[in-house]
Amino acid sequence: MSTHAAHTVAVRTHGVDMFFGDGETKVTALKQADFEANRGELIMLVGPSGCGKTTLLSVIAGTLTPQTGTVEVFGQRLDGLSQEELTTFRRKHLGFVFQSFNLIPTLTVLENVMVPLLIQGAAHDEAVAKARAMLEKVGLKGREYGQPNALSGGQQQRVAIARALVHEPSLLICDEPTSALDKDTGAQIMQMVRDLSRSPERCVVVVTHDHRIFRFADRIAEMEDGRIRRVVEDASLLDTNHL
Amino acid sequence: MYRLALNMLFGDRAKLAMLLCGLAFSALLMAQQTSVFFGIMSWTYTPVYNIRAPIWVSDPMVEQANDAKPMRDTDLYRVRSVDGVAWAAPLHTSFLQARMQDGNFKLITMVGIDADTFAGAPAVLSQGLIEDLRLPNTVIVDEWGAQLMGRVTKGPDGKDVVIPLKVGDTFEVNDLEARIVGICKVRRAFTGGPFVYTTYDRTKLYTLGARRTLSFMLVEPQAGVDPVKLCARIEADTGLKAWTSDTVIWSWSDRSLARNTFWWFWKNTGIPFSFGTAVALGLFVGIAVSGQTFYSFVLENLKYFAAIKAMGAGMGVIARMLLVQAFTAGLLGFGLGVGMAQAIGRAMIEKGMPPFIMFPQIFWATLALVLGISLVSAIIGIIKVSRVDAATVFRG
Ligand SMILES: Nc1ncnc2c1ncn2[C@@H]1O[C@H](COP(=O)(O)OP(=O)(O)O)[C@@H](O)[C@H]1O
Ligand SMILES: [Mg+2]
Repeated sequence: MSTHAAHTVAVRTHGVDMFFGDGETKVTALKQADFEANRGELIMLVGPSGCGKTTLLSVIAGTLTPQTGTVEVFGQRLDGLSQEELTTFRRKHLGFVFQSFNLIPTLTVLENVMVPLLIQGAAHDEAVAKARAMLEKVGLKGREYGQPNALSGGQQQRVAIARALVHEPSLLICDEPTSALDKDTGAQIMQMVRDLSRSPERCVVVVTHDHRIFRFADRIAEMEDGRIRRVVEDASLLDTNHL
Repeated sequence: MYRLALNMLFGDRAKLAMLLCGLAFSALLMAQQTSVFFGIMSWTYTPVYNIRAPIWVSDPMVEQANDAKPMRDTDLYRVRSVDGVAWAAPLHTSFLQARMQDGNFKLITMVGIDADTFAGAPAVLSQGLIEDLRLPNTVIVDEWGAQLMGRVTKGPDGKDVVIPLKVGDTFEVNDLEARIVGICKVRRAFTGGPFVYTTYDRTKLYTLGARRTLSFMLVEPQAGVDPVKLCARIEADTGLKAWTSDTVIWSWSDRSLARNTFWWFWKNTGIPFSFGTAVALGLFVGIAVSGQTFYSFVLENLKYFAAIKAMGAGMGVIARMLLVQAFTAGLLGFGLGVGMAQAIGRAMIEKGMPPFIMFPQIFWATLALVLGISLVSAIIGIIKVSRVDAATVFRG
């Protein structure tokens, strides 16, 4: 806690190796991946398909445990935690936005947003109140009792953002949040992520292919073959042909 | 969270309908088939219902109520002299051919009752008076029998119409006239019927002077005498067999004539087997349909359960969600199925065919079965969800 880094670093992976299967079919998804994200930062992970972005995101999110290396999220070491401990960690500290929204179609919009609160054991009424307030923030007031499938893609992703932030997680994880959306909607969504999640106590990691949203990033980490190739602050410095 | 689990279940009406159909079908088959089975089996001890008496006495070799091994008339006096017997009345039953007015022969069950006491007489007459049986050559026929023995003619539309027998009609048994003086209501039987009641003495004429006509004796204990104890005394004193007339087939009393009759048919006929096969097949289909539907419900929701898992729900919570879903569907399906079974049963009772008895045991067994199916489905779902990696949520 005494060093400057301890105050600013939100996520750090060091020397992470992750492979799937073994023998003939062994696939190395991450090799010696070193990654850092700071508090208050929106960082993007970019790179060609199959370079390991989703895998790294899963490792940071505690849904995958790497074979080697250390993972630290808001001062908590994830490597070495049991499945239960990881589950508890995710419940308290993580918010997720998925490429395919992953909203439960048989529940109402409001109920979908309530899920993280209910998982935390919140009382029903309290969850309703918080979810309503959050839906208002993402501009979906009046849509609470509709079905997610009745909404447009952009609206659905806004519901997902509300769900990801309703329990005020420290780390917001977004995997290709705009790839199912058109350009303008994607930009709106990123604007919203940025506006709502900007906080010195929070960190946002966004995996994307979508260069149209690079401008929303504070920094961009470029991945290649399972490791971070370089980190840039300005998207124009990226070799976009490479993506 | 459980409220949401229920909303997830109710959110997909089509799936829910399928699931409920499967469960209701299992419950219906189980409840319906077993109730009909017990209904039909209850026909086997119909005599015990129709002929009310606290104690029945028979030849020691008799095993069940439809089995008559006639005794000597003198046995009646021996039974009457047993301590604790208030009265004992003779009863005759036999299968005979009746020759109808149009010359057709019909198989009937003749029941001869004591003309002094009318012990064993049908409880309800829809036409006529029981006392008229004391007139010469008279009989009382049961309603359904009157229909079976009725005359078939062509109606105005050319279709066959049955004109049931009525008071005043006659037929012949062994060339002796039988004149109907009453129509009674009795329960249908598995073997036997139409039931033709006459007096015990007259059965000797109708059976052309059979040497022995005493099929059973109906015994009333003196006030305060325990029927079971009296049965034992009758057996000890006379060497005959004495039965109680309770109709609780689940009882352990091996003196119950109804119970012995039921289990005799259980052991000696293929009825339980064929019903058992039908029930088992139905259950198999029901379990397959509902298990399969719940499984596909889980599969369809698997990615959402994975997302919930990723968001930090432990397997305990997810397991309970699945159990809530499965048991709710189970209870609803059970209610529907048993309700339908009851409705069908009622309709069938109204038509008089086939019989339907839903014992509480059937109700509870069906409930247990449906909840069992739910539990198994839930467990399969839980295993499925527990195997899914939370990391899969990131994969398209
Ligand atoms: N569960 C898995 N089993 C086997 N191979 C996997 C699995 N997940 C990812 N991979 C492989 O790991 C590599 C990195 O995948 P991924 O992290 O999804 O890349 P990206 O998200 O950058 O497209 C790919 O070669 C992929 O095929
Ligand atoms: Mg990916």
